[in-house]
Amino acid sequence: MKSFLKSTSPANLLFVLLGLFFSILSANAQAPQDEQRVYIKIEIFGLACPYCAYGMEQDLLQLAGVEEVDIQLKEGLAYISTPVEQKPDKKEIAKVVEDGGFTVGKIEYSDKPFE
Amino acid sequence: MNKTLCLLISLFLTGMGFAQGPPILTGTPVMLGLEGNGLRTFGKLIVKEEGLIYVQPLGVPYNISPKFQVGGILPFKYVKPGEAEAALGLADASAFAKYQIFKRDGRAKTFRILAKVQHTFPSGNTLTSPPIGAGIHQTYVGFIAGRISSAIGLYSDFGYVFTSRKAADRFLYNLAVSLPLLPQQYPQKQLNTLLELNGSYLIHPDLHTLFLSPGLQFIPGRRILFEASFQIPVLFRTRFNIIHSNQTRYVVLIGTRFLLH
Repeated sequence: MKSFLKSTSPANLLFVLLGLFFSILSANAQAPQDEQRVYIKIEIFGLACPYCAYGMEQDLLQLAGVEEVDIQLKEGLAYISTPVEQKPDKKEIAKVVEDGGFTVGKIEYSDKPFE
Repeated sequence: MNKTLCLLISLFLTGMGFAQGPPILTGTPVMLGLEGNGLRTFGKLIVKEEGLIYVQPLGVPYNISPKFQVGGILPFKYVKPGEAEAALGLADASAFAKYQIFKRDGRAKTFRILAKVQHTFPSGNTLTSPPIGAGIHQTYVGFIAGRISSAIGLYSDFGYVFTSRKAADRFLYNLAVSLPLLPQQYPQKQLNTLLELNGSYLIHPDLHTLFLSPGLQFIPGRRILFEASFQIPVLFRTRFNIIHSNQTRYVVLIGTRFLLH
């Protein structure tokens, strides 16, 4: 370690330290992003056939912050996630489901993905 | 025939926990997905004892709301009566409206009833020989009901056709059972098999016809559907033993639906 410090110029040392500092900063920036997502499980009644699930998928994608919709037909469930600051309230989700031609059931929020 | 009816009735009774779809010849009470905003077309070849008819309609449904759908159908028709010369052209166009009057949704199942009104205009040419159009106004008033789940689809529609110029009114009814051959997941390729019964009862002269129609449906993705159906006449009955010539031998239908939205 001593020999490394002796052989390294102060400018190089500063460069290495700065690199370390920014990499820590960037790692910390990613972690809160992951934590700041809210995961939503929506119970949808009447979702009986794959060909009618398409419209529901498109409607849920219209909610702000939703990038992906996972529809489980047999369970009658749809899973979405949004950034916390764009978290839709239950009324807003229920309106999307009802306007899509289905009946809404329970809506659950979680800070972790549903299993 | 009786066996077929027994099969359909038993499926209706035992299939209450199940279902699939949309049927090819029977109406569906679900106005979503491939039954919603899109295009539907099919080629229908009607082979008769003397000659054949080919019909290619283009149907465009539009959902005003999830409960209310309107649409139009523009058919192209080719008629070849035996040895005589053929005629072709745009046939009678129609406009329709469907409104959902009942809905009961459950987990992965739904039961819905719609009311339907369809008016057919005498827009087809009647001066050709044979005529392309019927030359009369026809108004259908009826209901569509269906019980659909991820395992089986049961559909039915029935209605009355009022005609102008003292032409014969008729009662129409259709029943369909649809079974998926692949696991019901979304999104996934779907292959559905269908069995339909398509009946028509002409009031004057008294004539009851019924077709048995097995069909197959392939949905390769979210927005397109291909379907084929083969209709076989199983009943052709008249009360007064009037001899009707030029009966239908069979009907072949091949079509597609495409979702625009």
